[in-house]
Amino acid sequence: MTEVLTVRNVHWYSDGIFGIAFERDGIEFVPGDCLALFGADEQTSRPYSVASGAGEDTLRFVIRRMPGGDISGYLAEREAGDRVKISPPFGWFRPGPRDDGSPFVFLATGTGISPFLAHFNSRPVAPPLQCLYGVRTLDDAVDSDKIESQCDLRMAVSRGDAGHHHRGRITDLLEGMPCATENHYYLCGLDAMIDDVSQWLELKGVPITHIHRECFFNASYSTPQT
Amino acid sequence: MPPIPRLRHDSPAMKTDNVYHITREDWLQTTQGDPRGYIQPAKLTELWFHTGTTCNLRCPFCLEGSKPGDNRINPLLFTDAKPFIDEALGMGIKQFSFTGGEPFVIDEFVQILGYALDHRPCLVLTNGTEPVLNRMEEILALREKPHPVKFRISIDYPDAARHDAGRGPGNFLRALQALGRLHRYGFDISIARQREQGEDIEKVDRAFHPHLEEVGVPTDINIVSFPDFLTPGAVAKVPEITEDCMTRYHTEETRDSFMCNYTKFVLKKNGKTRVYACTLVDDDTDYDLGGTLKESMRIRVMLGHHRCYSCFAFGASCSDT
Repeated sequence: MTEVLTVRNVHWYSDGIFGIAFERDGIEFVPGDCLALFGADEQTSRPYSVASGAGEDTLRFVIRRMPGGDISGYLAEREAGDRVKISPPFGWFRPGPRDDGSPFVFLATGTGISPFLAHFNSRPVAPPLQCLYGVRTLDDAVDSDKIESQCDLRMAVSRGDAGHHHRGRITDLLEGMPCATENHYYLCGLDAMIDDVSQWLELKGVPITHIHRECFFNASYSTPQT
Repeated sequence: MPPIPRLRHDSPAMKTDNVYHITREDWLQTTQGDPRGYIQPAKLTELWFHTGTTCNLRCPFCLEGSKPGDNRINPLLFTDAKPFIDEALGMGIKQFSFTGGEPFVIDEFVQILGYALDHRPCLVLTNGTEPVLNRMEEILALREKPHPVKFRISIDYPDAARHDAGRGPGNFLRALQALGRLHRYGFDISIARQREQGEDIEKVDRAFHPHLEEVGVPTDINIVSFPDFLTPGAVAKVPEITEDCMTRYHTEETRDSFMCNYTKFVLKKNGKTRVYACTLVDDDTDYDLGGTLKESMRIRVMLGHHRCYSCFAFGASCSDT
């Protein structure tokens, strides 16, 4: 099993968010999987969700450079050809079509879009009913054109110019979201958003078995960081 | 002490076919040269499985050192677990128990649990957060199995801020809500919490009651408390356990209650599925007792790990009894 991957490139989407792509090296994963990426000491790691497609020849991650973040800072400074220690893929979040064909909806904030990007890049013919995407600034939005080309994208921008998108928080968009008890909802992002949306859905009668959560924390305690 | 023969069998007068799998002097004796205390396993009634050290949380105090992507103990596959379940059934096993890491992050865990529930009651130790919520549909289907599953959720303290400081913001409430949901769905539940030195155990347990009432859980559920076992590989200065200690401070009945008397622990390291003496000593390969349960039950367990002292002093038992 490969334990080290070679960096192909680092690409900045905005001041705080970057993508890092590695040579795939035969690693198998399913959309929703994470890998732990290690820092310079090769002891400390953080989990990040894969954002690339299962058929691509790179393994790509979308990462927010955290202030004082050892791992995100280390990864942000990598260059093509650098080697980074990784864990095997793992995951407990499986966004996408279900065996019974139930419709589904995606909700993400920030880099929480990563597992959904892996879905869009892997299964372009199986779109969600809608994708709700909350970002701080318009520049922070990653691959929104691609998402919009595949499904009904509703974006909320909390700071600065929102363009033609909603200026505010993702929870402002809930009333316009397709809501039915047979739908499945996949939520990925900060813990507060996940809890708020879960509660809202349950109040609307959506069973807990149809609410799928991937949660990360905006604090020194962090897992996963998607 | 006379020279110790390699792979020593006890006298023919004994009814069991006991062996030492290690004959080093420091294994059989304490540093003072006294015969080390031991447990001679009697009958396997509970089999534990380690599902792997990968977890969705990264708690700094985790006795397993579990965290996302950790591979010290490999994720358990159905094909790893099934032969041991089958072997245990032939040995009169009464219960299967599972711990991690977080078992529900393991893809094949529900399949493993389902197979075990076809045969015996099961206990699952979980943190009650996202992986459990995400797999609730699969968990609910387990109610159709012929045997029940009990969930023990870790809630470290009856104080949200203290719990969340180790396990992440909001996770006290999530774990509590998971406890409530599982109870409402008809599953048997219990809590595992941390025990502090000198605490009033009943008082701390009672402090959970208002939280339990809040989520509709009866206040008389079992609350199991554990001392700090330290992280894997830690060196702890604890008294050594001699044979004399085991007879002076313990009775036949209390010796029988040591987990290594009636349980074994199956886990996968470096791609190989092995049997360890108990759930607390998987960081020390000296407690690797072999590749089959039958083989492992013959081996005398020397109480030389620092966590053995917890069992000796506090009666720590990972079982839910």
